[in-house]
Amino acid sequence: MTLATVSAVSDAEIAAIRESHPGVFDTPGKLIKRWGLWVVAIVYVLWSLWFFDIARFFETSDRVLALLRAFVVWEDMATWQYANIYRGIAETLAMAFLGTLLGTLGALVVGFLAARNIVTFAPLRQLVRRFLDILRGIDQLVWGLVFVRAVGLGPLAGVLAIFVSDLGTLSKLYSEAIENIDRKQVEGVKSTGARPIQVIRYGYLPQILPVFISQSLYFLESNTRSATILGIVGAGGIGMIIIERFRASLYDQVAFVVLNVLILIFAIDWLSKRVRTWAIGAQQD
Amino acid sequence: MSDQTALGAVGLFEKHRAELKASKRTMNLIMLAAFLVCLALSVYISQFYPERLANGIPRIFEYFGTIIPNLQWEVLFEGRTEDGRAVAGSITYWYTDFWTYVTLIWETILMAITATLIGTAVAFVLSFPAAANLAPNSWIYWISRRFLEICRGIPEILLALVFVFMIGIGPLAGVIAIAIHSAGALGKLFAEVNENASARPVEGITAVGGTWVQKMAYGVVPQVTPNFVSYALLRFEVNVRASSIIGFVGAGGIGQELNRVISFYSDDRVLAVLILVVLMVTLIDLLSERLRLGYIGRENFA
Repeated sequence: MTLATVSAVSDAEIAAIRESHPGVFDTPGKLIKRWGLWVVAIVYVLWSLWFFDIARFFETSDRVLALLRAFVVWEDMATWQYANIYRGIAETLAMAFLGTLLGTLGALVVGFLAARNIVTFAPLRQLVRRFLDILRGIDQLVWGLVFVRAVGLGPLAGVLAIFVSDLGTLSKLYSEAIENIDRKQVEGVKSTGARPIQVIRYGYLPQILPVFISQSLYFLESNTRSATILGIVGAGGIGMIIIERFRASLYDQVAFVVLNVLILIFAIDWLSKRVRTWAIGAQQD
Repeated sequence: MSDQTALGAVGLFEKHRAELKASKRTMNLIMLAAFLVCLALSVYISQFYPERLANGIPRIFEYFGTIIPNLQWEVLFEGRTEDGRAVAGSITYWYTDFWTYVTLIWETILMAITATLIGTAVAFVLSFPAAANLAPNSWIYWISRRFLEICRGIPEILLALVFVFMIGIGPLAGVIAIAIHSAGALGKLFAEVNENASARPVEGITAVGGTWVQKMAYGVVPQVTPNFVSYALLRFEVNVRASSIIGFVGAGGIGQELNRVISFYSDDRVLAVLILVVLMVTLIDLLSERLRLGYIGRENFA
């Protein structure tokens, strides 16, 4: 028996296969379904670029060239007030640390209030959860802006903004961790006649603590990142220095500061990965 | 006679336990000391002193008091009078600029969609050279990886700041900034999906003499499309949030109005805009989750 080549298949055979396997062949409807989405997407992008006035992108002015030049050519580096820059970076780290710490402490309380197996009274739990939804629904930067209005420019507003948005997210994650614990361990500790405080210490804590610690460390990392931009709305940290120097047209300094921030972010990424594997690994041993 | 027999099994266990406990205690003490040093430094640097906090907290409540609208039940649903003025205390009065907000929210959503589409397209193209198992050679791999890292490393709002300066105030700057950031973030995720794709279809196409582009298009793309779509939709949710705040630096969308009302007024307008933003974000999240689950469900049951 020889293998059939394409040319050896007669028209009649093709027609027969079309008849018996209609799903394999393209029909106009299928083609429209396949390509229609692409056409819609492309037409939409073109329309929206026109809507957003893309032409402006190509009108390079002298300003743009000066800006791009300043990002690369750094002048008068002796007068850049490095102390100010590195103080801003330290302030950013301090804001992230304090905000995450306060958020963690708050979430320890609120997380239990939002857990189904701890608070069995549904209206209270629902109230706490909706409140957390609101805290999470508003962006950290908006909280920053609001707190700047309320307590004035500076790192205090930044710490509060990080605290409030972390409280919303961490409490939710904590309450999920509490809900997902294994009942058997708790019952086992109870069956030995342990007091309530001992049940929490030996029944609950060993199960939830690793989750809590790794979540909080993760948030410390992500808050360091977001704390760098909180300053753009005036909530302290390195962002404030970036925006001040940007407004003062010191673009070369802005480039330098942004470079420092990028290095900081990459360093934090690396460090946090190490700490997390260390903390979780140590817990499992 | 060795120690072991002198102590007995129980004694040995207790001794070992005491050693472990001691070493753990020292470790805990070191960690506690490090933590306290960090705390003290942070408090000092950010000047987070109790009296500042005590001064600040009443002002926070005061501020939240001022942004709550003064609605009166009797006139709550009162429309505009003949001369087009709204009655104080009604919802119409509270939301005087409602249609401005709606236009801006529409603009915000369009910004998010466009930025997501452009970002996804760039990420799609770069995800193949940025996947360790698919890259044609190592320097293309290295360049695309670093490029994606830079794209996602710079915060969107900083990019937006630069673009606002370059091309002027308006949504275009925001779209470009968000698109660049999305390309970086999605590119990394897409590349990871590609790295997990089965090599067999690719080998099959290599065997029949396919080019690199053909290998990607017919060997990899059909495997990874469902994951790509689901990541892109997730990114869309993130981008809606991003485009609602990117206006803080003048890059268009509802953020511009939010910044204006928060910075210049401290009255019920702040709450009016905030409510709309939260509503928009929640609705988009719900919608996108539906789409995502629908899409993944269809893929699984096909």
